[in-house]
Amino acid sequence: MADRLTALALDRVTFHYPGSVAPALVDLSLEVRAGEVVALIGAMGAGASTLLLVAGGLAPRVVGGELTGHVRCDGRPALLLPTPWTQVSGMAFTVWDEAAFGPANLGWPRERIGSAVDRALTRVDVATLRDRDPATLSGGELQRVILAGALAMEPALLLLDEPTAELDPAGAELVWRLLRELAREGVAVLVATSDLDALPDAADRVVWLAHGGVRRAGAAREVLADPELWQADGPGSTAVAGVWHQAELPPPPPLTVADAVARVG
Amino acid sequence: MRALHPFTLIAIAVALPALAWILPAPWGGVGTVVMAAALLLLPGGGSTVQAARAALLTAAPFWFFLFLLHGPGGAVDTGLRLTTMIGSSVWLIAALPPPRLVEAMVARGWPVSVAFLLSSTLSAVPALRLRAARLVEAQRSRGLRTRGGPLIRLAALRALALPLVLSALHEVDERALALETRGLAPGIRRTPLAPPPDSPLQQLARWGVVLGCVAALVWRIV
Repeated sequence: MADRLTALALDRVTFHYPGSVAPALVDLSLEVRAGEVVALIGAMGAGASTLLLVAGGLAPRVVGGELTGHVRCDGRPALLLPTPWTQVSGMAFTVWDEAAFGPANLGWPRERIGSAVDRALTRVDVATLRDRDPATLSGGELQRVILAGALAMEPALLLLDEPTAELDPAGAELVWRLLRELAREGVAVLVATSDLDALPDAADRVVWLAHGGVRRAGAAREVLADPELWQADGPGSTAVAGVWHQAELPPPPPLTVADAVARVG
Repeated sequence: MRALHPFTLIAIAVALPALAWILPAPWGGVGTVVMAAALLLLPGGGSTVQAARAALLTAAPFWFFLFLLHGPGGAVDTGLRLTTMIGSSVWLIAALPPPRLVEAMVARGWPVSVAFLLSSTLSAVPALRLRAARLVEAQRSRGLRTRGGPLIRLAALRALALPLVLSALHEVDERALALETRGLAPGIRRTPLAPPPDSPLQQLARWGVVLGCVAALVWRIV
C-alpha cells in the first residue's frame, strides 16, 4: 500500500459553510491512495458529504464558505451525488448522450468519447437503455446512468455519496463489485455510505467520521468490529455484527453471514 | 419543421412577432397570427394540439384586459400582436428540443455557459409543469382539495406554489454542483456530439427572414 501514489491528501482541513458558526469539518486529515477503496461512515451530519465536496474541489469554490488547511488532489476527480434526478444534464436526448455529457465537456475527440461512454454503460449494465430518454428512467436506472457518466470521464479519483441509495440489492451489489474493479485498475475510490453490510468485502479502509472529524480510521474489518460504533452517536456496523452485539456475544463480532457461520460452526 | 436547423427555427419564431409589431394593424397582425397558428396546428409544424391549446389559454386573459382597456378596436390590434408573440414562442418551445439548440450553438463556437443558460430557460417550463403535477398529486393524497370554487382553487394554489418554488430553488444548488463535477464550467471547449445539419439554403432563408424584417421596418419608417 505504501508504494501507491496518493490520489487525495487532506491535511488539517477545517471548513465552515457560509453563515455557519460551527465548522462542518474540523482539523481533518485523510489520505486516499490510488487503487484503494476508502469508505466514510458516520451518523447524520458527521461531515461525510462535506468531505466529498472538499475533495472534489467544489467546497468552497462553488458552495462558498471558508476552508483552512491543505487539499491536494492528483488527477481528475469525479463526484456522484446522492440524488440522481438533480444530476441530469438537461442537455441530452438519450441515455448515451447523458453519459457523454461529461466527456464532451472535457473536449475529447468524438471517437474517444464514444468508446469511453460505451464501456461505462456496459460496466454499470445499462447498455440496453442507451437510446432511452433519461426522463423516462426509474430512480435506480438513472443512478446507474449518472454513475456511467462519471466513469466515462475516466477519473483518477472517484468520489461517491450514497451511490447505492436508489438501487435494489442486485444493483447495489453490482456497484460495490464495480468499485473493487476500478480500484484494481488504479482508481482511488472514496465513498460515503450507510450500506455498511457491503463494506467488509468492498472497502480496504473505513473512516468513521463524527462531528466533522475522524473518530477512527483503519482496515475495514477492524473499524467495523469496533464496539464503540454502537454508541449513541455511532453509525452502527453490519447487520450481522448488530445481532451479535445485541445478543451480547463475545467480541469481536462477525461482520458477514459467512463470518458468523465460520464462528458458530 | 423539427428537422430544420435550430437557428432557422429561432429566426422564424423571432421574425413573426417582429413583423406583427412592424406591419400596420390589424392586417399585419392577422397575417402573422395566421402564420403562427399554421405553425402550431399544421402537421409537420413540430408542435402539438396541447401546445396550441396552451398558447390560446395564455393569450385569452390578454384579450380580455385589452378589451376592457382599449375597446374592441384596440383589443384586436394589440391582441393579434400579442397572440403572435405567444404563439410563436410556444411553437418554438414545442419544436426545438433544448439539447439540439445547445449542440448547434456549441458547434458554432458559442460559450457553453451561454448555450446552457438558453437551454435551461427553454426546458424550465416543461420541467416545472412536471414537478407541479407531482406536487398536486402529493398534496391531494394528503387531503388538499384542488377542485371546486375560486376560493378553494386559490387556497390550493398557495399550497402548491410554496413547495414548487422552494424545491426548485433547493435543486438549483445541487444542479450547480452536479454540472460542475461533470465538467460544465466557464471557458471550456465542449465537443459537439451531434451537431444539427445546416445547409446553404437554410442560411439563405435565415438571412432572407432578417432582411424581410429590416425591409418592413424601413418601409414603415419611410
